[in-house]
Amino acid sequence: MNENIDISVDFAGLRLTNPVFTASGTCGYADELADFTNLNSIGGFITKSITSKPRKGNPAPRIVETDSGMLNAIGLANLGLDAFIEEKLPILEKLSPAVFVNVAGQTIDDYVTVTERLSNEEAIAGFELNISCPNVAKGGITFGTDPDQVTEITSAVKKASGQKILMVKLSPCVTDISIIAKAAVDSGADALSLINTFTAMAIDIETRKPILANRTGGLSGPAIKPIALYLVNKVYNEVTKNTNVPILGLGGIRNASDAIEFIIAGASAVAVGTANFVEPDCTAKIVEGIEKYCQQNKITNIKELIGSLEAN
Amino acid sequence: MTTSTQQKGDFLATVSANRQIGKTFYRLTLEFTDIGAQAFAKTIPGQFAQLDLSNVALPPAEKIPAELSDKADRQILLRRPFSFCNLTTKNNKTSAEILYCVLGPATLRMTTLSAGNTIRVIGPLGNGFSVPENKKTALLVTGGMGAGPLLHLAKFLTTDFPSIIVTAFAGAKTAEDLPFKGQLDNISQNLGFSIPEFATYAIESFVATDDGSAGFTGFVTDSLEDWLNKNNPSPAETIIYSCGPEPMLAKLTQIAQNHKIDAQLSMERQMACGIGLCQSCAVECKLDNSNETVYKMCCKDGPVFDSQLVVFNL
Repeated sequence: MNENIDISVDFAGLRLTNPVFTASGTCGYADELADFTNLNSIGGFITKSITSKPRKGNPAPRIVETDSGMLNAIGLANLGLDAFIEEKLPILEKLSPAVFVNVAGQTIDDYVTVTERLSNEEAIAGFELNISCPNVAKGGITFGTDPDQVTEITSAVKKASGQKILMVKLSPCVTDISIIAKAAVDSGADALSLINTFTAMAIDIETRKPILANRTGGLSGPAIKPIALYLVNKVYNEVTKNTNVPILGLGGIRNASDAIEFIIAGASAVAVGTANFVEPDCTAKIVEGIEKYCQQNKITNIKELIGSLEAN
Repeated sequence: MTTSTQQKGDFLATVSANRQIGKTFYRLTLEFTDIGAQAFAKTIPGQFAQLDLSNVALPPAEKIPAELSDKADRQILLRRPFSFCNLTTKNNKTSAEILYCVLGPATLRMTTLSAGNTIRVIGPLGNGFSVPENKKTALLVTGGMGAGPLLHLAKFLTTDFPSIIVTAFAGAKTAEDLPFKGQLDNISQNLGFSIPEFATYAIESFVATDDGSAGFTGFVTDSLEDWLNKNNPSPAETIIYSCGPEPMLAKLTQIAQNHKIDAQLSMERQMACGIGLCQSCAVECKLDNSNETVYKMCCKDGPVFDSQLVVFNL
C-alpha cells in the first residue's frame, strides 16, 4: 500500500477502501472463496441473489463456454432468505468490504419482503436490485426492460431499504439503457450497477438442440467487455455525470487495465465476475494493479480518474 | 463420502511427462513442489483439480484430428476439471497423473504440453471415494475414460486396505476405446489379469466391449452382474465404486440396489469454477427418502455421490 496514493472511493456516501467489488453470483456468499483469496483486500462484496423462498435453480447443463466468454442459466438457485440470515450473514459480518445483498424475485412484493427483512442488518451496507436476470421465467429481466416497471419497483424497494444504499442492476438487453437508468435514478436509486449479462444461446449442431437446459443463458466474460464499457460511458454521460449517483461498472473485467478503462469511462467502482471462476485471487491482484497504475501515472487520488475520458 | 478439510489452493505445476496411450488417450504427469506438493499429497481418490489450459498452444494443423479441425481454434476461457489416476510423493515432491482423451479444443491443447512446461492447477477439490467399515470386497466398474479415478482408488485400496479384495471391470465401446496400455497375454488373461494397470496392484480385472473386440461382448454392467451371480459376495461386506457414462451409472445403480450392495459413483458435469462459486454443476439428488429432489453441486457435494441419492435424467 502506497501512503501517497488514495484509491479509496466514495460510493453513494459509503467510504470503500478501494473500488473493486466481486459481482453477484460469482462469489457465492464469501465462504467458498476463503481458501483462495483474502476478500478483505477488496472494497465491496455482492452476494449471490437472494429470494424470499429457496430456489432449486435450473437443470444441467447450466453453463457453456463460448469464445472469450460463457453462457450461464443457473436460474437464481439460492438458499432463500431465512437460511441466508441464519447461515451466511454471520460469515458476511466478519468481512471488511462493504456487503451488498443482491435481491431477486418474481413479484415486487418478493423484492420488498427480502429488502425489508434485511434492512436493519448491520452486516449489510446496501442492496443490489436484480431486475436484469435473463434466466428465470418470471421476474428478473421483465422488470428491468420497461421504464414504468423500473420506476415502480425501485420506489417500492427504496421505501423498504431504510437507511441502506439501493443499487439498481441494469440489463444491456434494451433499446436505450439511459432511459432505464434515468427511471431508476429518478425513483430513488442511490447507485447503478451495469451491466448484467446479455441473453444469448449456443446450439449443438449434432442434435440441433440448445446446449443449455434452459435454452438461453446470460453471456458474460471478456467477450462483452467493450459493450459494457460503452454502456457505462453512455449512462455516465447521459444520466449520472451531474448527479451524486455512482456507477458500479462490470462486464468482462479480468485485470487492472480493464478495471481502469471502466473507471475512466465513468464508473466509480468496478465489479469482477466471470474472471473469479478462472482465477479466484484475481480481485486482489486487480486492486494492486490499480494502485500501481496510479503510482506510475502520478495520480494521488483515484477520484481524478473517474469519468476522465478525454475527447479525441 | 469423505468430506475433507484439507488445504487447497491455486498452485503452479510442472509437467514431467505427457505420454500417448493407444490412439486417443494420454497420461499427463504433473509435479508439485512446496505447499502444492503438501496439498496434493493428501488427494483422496475421486477428488479432482481444475487445470488452466487457456495459454497452452494448439498442435500443428496436421496433428489435429479431422473431427476437431473445424473448432480447434476455439478460445479457452474456463479451467477444465480432471481427477487423477495415480499419485506418488517422493522427496517433498508430489507427482499426480491425469488420464485424458482428446475430446475438444482444451484436451487437444493439452497434448502439446511437454516436460518442463508449467500450468496453474486449483485443487485438490471435492469429495472423493470413501471406504465404509466392514467391507471385504470392492468392485471397481469403469466405463471408457472413467477409469482414471478408479486406478487411483485401486492403488489406495491395495495400499491402505490390504484386507479388502478388489476386482475391476472395465468397459468401452471397442478395444480402441479402452484407456489402457493394451491387454496382457493369454496366460495372464486366463488367470483373470486382463488389464496391466490393475495387474500392477495384483487386482483381477475383466474387460467388456460393446462390439466384442476385446473381452466379454456386451456392457460392463452385464459382466459385473454375471460376476455377482456367480460369486454371490455378502452384500453388507461389498461395495461398488464406479465412474463412467451416465447410462452406465444408472444401470449400475439398479444392479447395486437389486443386490443390496452400496455403490459410490463419480459424476461429471460442466463446471465453470470447480470451487462452488458458479453453481453450474447441478446433480439432481433425492432429498431424504422423500419424492422431492434438490440440486447438489458436483464440485463441492461430489463428484462422488452415493448411488441411491442420484436422480438420473437419461
